[in-house]
Amino acid sequence: MSLTDGGQVLTPNSKLETFTKMSTILFIVFAGLAIGSAIAMVSQRNPLYSAISLIGVFIALASIYVTLAAPFIAAVQVIVYAGAIMVLVIFVIMLLNVEQDEPRRKRLKFLVPAAIAMAAILIAETAFILYSVQTTSAQTSRTLSDVGLTHSIGEGLFTRYLLPFEITSILLLMAIVGAMSLARRSGMLSPSVRVVPGAQVLAMDIVNPRAVGDQRPVETKTTDEAAALLGVDRLRSPDE
Amino acid sequence: MDWNNPYIHALTLIVAITVAFLTIMLLVAATVLAERRVLAFIQGRVGPNRVGFGGVLQPFADFIKTMMKEDLVPDQSTRFVFLLAPMIAVVTAIMTLIVYPFGPTVTLPFLGTFQLVIARFDVALLYVLGVTSVGVYGIALAGWSSNNKYSLMGGLRSSAQMISYELALGLSLIGVILISGTLDIYRIVEQQSGWYGLQWNIFYQPLGFILYLIAAIAETNRVPFDLPEAETELVAGFHTEYSSIKFLLFFNAEYINMITVSMLATTLFLGGWNGPGVAQLPLLGVFYFFAKILFFLFLYIWLRGTLPRFRFDQLMSFGWKFLLPAAILNIVLTATIVFFTSG
Repeated sequence: MSLTDGGQVLTPNSKLETFTKMSTILFIVFAGLAIGSAIAMVSQRNPLYSAISLIGVFIALASIYVTLAAPFIAAVQVIVYAGAIMVLVIFVIMLLNVEQDEPRRKRLKFLVPAAIAMAAILIAETAFILYSVQTTSAQTSRTLSDVGLTHSIGEGLFTRYLLPFEITSILLLMAIVGAMSLARRSGMLSPSVRVVPGAQVLAMDIVNPRAVGDQRPVETKTTDEAAALLGVDRLRSPDE
Repeated sequence: MDWNNPYIHALTLIVAITVAFLTIMLLVAATVLAERRVLAFIQGRVGPNRVGFGGVLQPFADFIKTMMKEDLVPDQSTRFVFLLAPMIAVVTAIMTLIVYPFGPTVTLPFLGTFQLVIARFDVALLYVLGVTSVGVYGIALAGWSSNNKYSLMGGLRSSAQMISYELALGLSLIGVILISGTLDIYRIVEQQSGWYGLQWNIFYQPLGFILYLIAAIAETNRVPFDLPEAETELVAGFHTEYSSIKFLLFFNAEYINMITVSMLATTLFLGGWNGPGVAQLPLLGVFYFFAKILFFLFLYIWLRGTLPRFRFDQLMSFGWKFLLPAAILNIVLTATIVFFTSG
């Protein structure tokens, strides 16, 4: 159904021209989408709408990477940002179930000059880049580079940039271990304890601090009874 | 014909996409019917056998009936997201279709030589994984926007499940990538030809194949991993509030996902269109390709008729404590073997 004649990469001149025209149109479409989604993300009141807009930004950016002949980066952009990170964000928003019509809070007035300064810097940077691109001689190569391809990225990661790559992985590993240990500590339960909601069965080593490692179950009939055993004032359920 | 003309190229692409789309839709209808008849057979019933000859028109009757129903939108729902969710589900399901080669290079009279694949590019496999990972949003947003606690529970369950099993799914494929040294699915299929089928990756990646199969069943939310729509606990899970066309879209998305996942298993592990006689008669490859897909679809239905549902904590610990380490072990083993054999 496709017509890649035996994996032919080199294209005749007429085809190349159509290709550049097409990629300009595509760039305008996707850049517009990205900017529109970004504005929507900032201006939405509902956090979930903001999150969906951000996914739109990521996907539009990935499409631009594709038009720049960097398919690997585009795929990774979608998998990591749109697929993994934003799923977690949406997960959290869904779990917290944030109130939709939250009253408009008082604006943080002192941040306005900072925002203006940041915007000025950003615009200056962009203008500088545009200016320097204009002034350099138009020596753009017409051959396809292999910068964004899987092979070149893999080679770079495991030869020239091996140390930064490994350091980044260790950093990520540290983050994972840190998150695990923080989540563990807040639980206060030893890992082998079974918590059955409503049944009020506690392990001995929770009730009695001196019986460490004693996993025999202690049953209580009411919340007050459990509170008395634990020596707490009164256990409160989250609804109260 | 001048294949280098961009307009003719675009036209052929549109034709190819239409053909693939119609094929997949017919395959969905066939799978729905087959599921009902095979399940009926397993359970000692007759199944739908009245509409058309032996019930072959049943899926179309179901389709018309569902279309005619009232399209309800819950009063308290988030309307835009409620509408968006089924679209995301079905679009991401269909989008992966373009990378699978339906057959080898064939020569047709009057038309010339074709490769039976819509798009070939460097990162086809990563593209599949990326699109699949975006597909989670369809279900998650459907559960959230319905403003129904059963829907929300179903949506949360399915997002948690799909995130967990996506990892194992992606990692189980790395063994194949290590062996073939490319992410281009067409090349991977070509490398599996010859040796009377002994070149198929399933013989080099038995562990990877089993892990992929389990993860794929979980990823498509099918029995025994169909917790997002466990009807005894959650009514109908994330699509409780959906009716008419929107329900149909979710329903279609699930079956298209089953088919595309089977296509991936076929192309990566079972040699794609390879089979006896393909070298002499290339069109036979299309037949082999679909025969292998139908085998996987039958496996899905068979499992549904056989296995009970997992409990949610069992599902999670199975995914994280067994499937993921096993997939990593597979990668280490494969990498070691590839390192020592390739010299």
